[in-house]
Amino acid sequence: MSFLPAPLEPVRPAILRDVAPVTRLVVAAAWLLVAFVGVDPRVPAVLLAAGVGALVAMSGLPLRASVRRMAPLVIAAAGLAVLTLVVHPSRSDPAAATLVDLGLFRVTVAAASAALALALRLALIAVASLLVFGPSDPTTFADSLVQQWRVPDRFAYGTLAALRVAPYLAADWSSTRAVRRLRGIEARGPVASLQVAGARMLTLLVSAVRRGERMALAMDARGFDAGRRRTHFRVIRLGRRDALVLGAGIAVALVALIVGALP
Amino acid sequence: MTVAIEAHGFGWTYRGGPAPALHGVDLVLGRGEVLLVLGPSGSGKSTLALALAGLVPHAIPGTATGSLIVDGLDTAVTPAPVLGDRVGIVFQDPAAGIVLGRVADEVAFGLENRGWPLDRMRARVPEALALAGLSGFERRGTAALSGGEQQRLAIAGVLAAEPAIVVLDEPTANLDPPGMASVFAHLGAIVADRGRTVVVIEHRLDAVLQFVDRILALDATGGQLAQGPPDEVGERWARELDRQGAWIPSAWRRHLVRAMPAAVPAGPTLAGAPGVPAPAAVPAPAGVPHPRTASPLVQPGAVAARPVVARIDAVTIADPTASAGPGRFILDRVSLEVGVGERVALVGPNGAGKSSLLLALAGILRPTEGSVGVATDPGLLRDPARLRPAEIADVLALVFQEPELAFVGGTVRDEIEAGARPGPGRDELVAGLLDRFGLARYAERDPHALSRGEQRRLSVASACVRAPSLLLLDEPTYGMDRRATDAVITLLDEARRGGGAQVVATHDPRLLPSCDRVVGLDAGRLVFDGPVAGFIAAPPYEPADPWRIEGAGFAIEAGVPADDIAPGAGVPAISGGRP
Repeated sequence: MSFLPAPLEPVRPAILRDVAPVTRLVVAAAWLLVAFVGVDPRVPAVLLAAGVGALVAMSGLPLRASVRRMAPLVIAAAGLAVLTLVVHPSRSDPAAATLVDLGLFRVTVAAASAALALALRLALIAVASLLVFGPSDPTTFADSLVQQWRVPDRFAYGTLAALRVAPYLAADWSSTRAVRRLRGIEARGPVASLQVAGARMLTLLVSAVRRGERMALAMDARGFDAGRRRTHFRVIRLGRRDALVLGAGIAVALVALIVGALP
Repeated sequence: MTVAIEAHGFGWTYRGGPAPALHGVDLVLGRGEVLLVLGPSGSGKSTLALALAGLVPHAIPGTATGSLIVDGLDTAVTPAPVLGDRVGIVFQDPAAGIVLGRVADEVAFGLENRGWPLDRMRARVPEALALAGLSGFERRGTAALSGGEQQRLAIAGVLAAEPAIVVLDEPTANLDPPGMASVFAHLGAIVADRGRTVVVIEHRLDAVLQFVDRILALDATGGQLAQGPPDEVGERWARELDRQGAWIPSAWRRHLVRAMPAAVPAGPTLAGAPGVPAPAAVPAPAGVPHPRTASPLVQPGAVAARPVVARIDAVTIADPTASAGPGRFILDRVSLEVGVGERVALVGPNGAGKSSLLLALAGILRPTEGSVGVATDPGLLRDPARLRPAEIADVLALVFQEPELAFVGGTVRDEIEAGARPGPGRDELVAGLLDRFGLARYAERDPHALSRGEQRRLSVASACVRAPSLLLLDEPTYGMDRRATDAVITLLDEARRGGGAQVVATHDPRLLPSCDRVVGLDAGRLVFDGPVAGFIAAPPYEPADPWRIEGAGFAIEAGVPADDIAPGAGVPAISGGRP
């Protein structure tokens, strides 16, 4: 029984699923770089629009599940935007241009612009990470990192193995809490709470080491990291599609920069 | 060259270990033969498995004695990867060793590591899957497989690399009855062509004995007791193995009887189990349909005679990760009462909802619908989730499957004391528990430094510290040899001295005779609630389920009258398995 969300998987064929994960990673990195360099909110707005378009038309991901997955970040983005409106320094400057004046609360143009840019950037992070990690499984991702970028096997597949162990550790963590409740152990006050948290961390560490050891032994037994050259069951090659996606992605980034520079 | 494994006085001492884990093993095994390794816990069976795969001495520190030649290579000097190409090993817990997300990738993982070219991998992966009965599973996700499927996937991953020798280290120890059945069903195909030598370590001996050519028997100190053909070893050594606490095949029990004519009943008996009030020995269930589930095997009023310590009423728990369909509920309208002082066995395949039911009774998992009540005072049932920790500890205790996760103290004494009520008499209480559970000499040790069996004893002892009226246990005999299993039953009897009820989630048929009642779950639903004999006579699971296969043989051993074991003897059997 796992209380972690089920992984998102593409439900229909899509071009983003057919390109190498590193291609998607490069485009997303370029977009985020542009979004955070451009001051004008129109820059992330263009990128976000393109990102949502790609999510709908090119990712093959189920939309409803995608929206649910992004929801926490989008809500956080909205909250931060409101906070920016409230604390923006231009509010204490009487000369700053006013967008709306509600009597007690004045929204300046500069504050609104900053809040919007922030919200759009955070939403872009949510969409971009879905576009990078959603269309293919973690194995393909690791394979692509190893094959395209020569990332060491130990790192790439070791990380995959660690990902497999993570849900067990989450379950172990909640067990340590249940144990204390059932045995009538109550932490009263901050010091006792800290002590209990420390003891639970120690238990988790012991369990993590044990699970890690078993995993390492199983991987050793199957000849992993034995100093031989690994071959690949999934061959990931860069092709025309990758060039297409990369070109289109960079073009969108340029358009965003240009739109942002318009008066 | 026809010799696959050759050992001469082979032994191994783990670094920091007080004594050899394994010593004096002399063995010659021909190519294509199947060897079964027998022995009690701590007899070095797994150490031998690790040595054959070259993990001892190359991945684990320690000192070897004698020699071990595997497929013509001396394990002492051959690098592990070279040995690893000849020997494949399957471990107990399949989930602990699965690296990748998809079945085909997981099978190919070992081939990639060994540098196989792509076209050979593409040809070999489906072949290996077919051998393990997983044809067509290529694109399935590994996390969504059942335990039996995961273990067969691990076997496919090992077979894919075409090893000369396959080592199976208790491949079914972590599996539920259907999982075990599926592994054993494919073991036949794996050994059939005699193309590979197989070494198997297994507790479920009746299921493997038919495949076995030779047996290596180890004793409790890790020394070699005997080796030879099964019949020979059985005839001469069955008694000694039994005495040392190892499981032995039920066919060998006659050797015990012959050796000790008027002796010891063959295993625990229903009637003789201590503290079991007038058992289950059948009046056959009346077959009154249960008002809620309408299952013919559920009898209301099975516990009506006793005051109730816990009641769950039409409890449904929705699976937050599932959207719709049959797997949507972890528990589906389950109703159950536990009477004072009663021991209830909770059975069913993995994923049936056993652990969830325990967690719901403990108030840790909240039902989506329905109610849970535990008796805080006679006749007063309260929702365990609303009790304060100090209150709930007086009412119930839960012993987790992994004892280590439950440790809260720095020493064994602290561990027991941590849950005790403060006040006078606490020291005496703790000292008494240390004594009763045989832990007095470990009192100042770190719980993590104890053996698994000792850790289990400690977790039961600390659960008894407030003499709760309800003790919940999750798989208390998981992976244990016969002696340890007997010890757990003794523990449970000891824990019941205060009169508390017990609910024991288990896959282990050997625990059944000591229980008053069986509750069977399947896919979240209650499919059986009644006496042990009725359950053994007609388990409400699929015909291939070992509860049925092993259950019948076991029932005879357990002393259930033969009349009651005949199919359909008074108990409405569900034809075709799942309701």
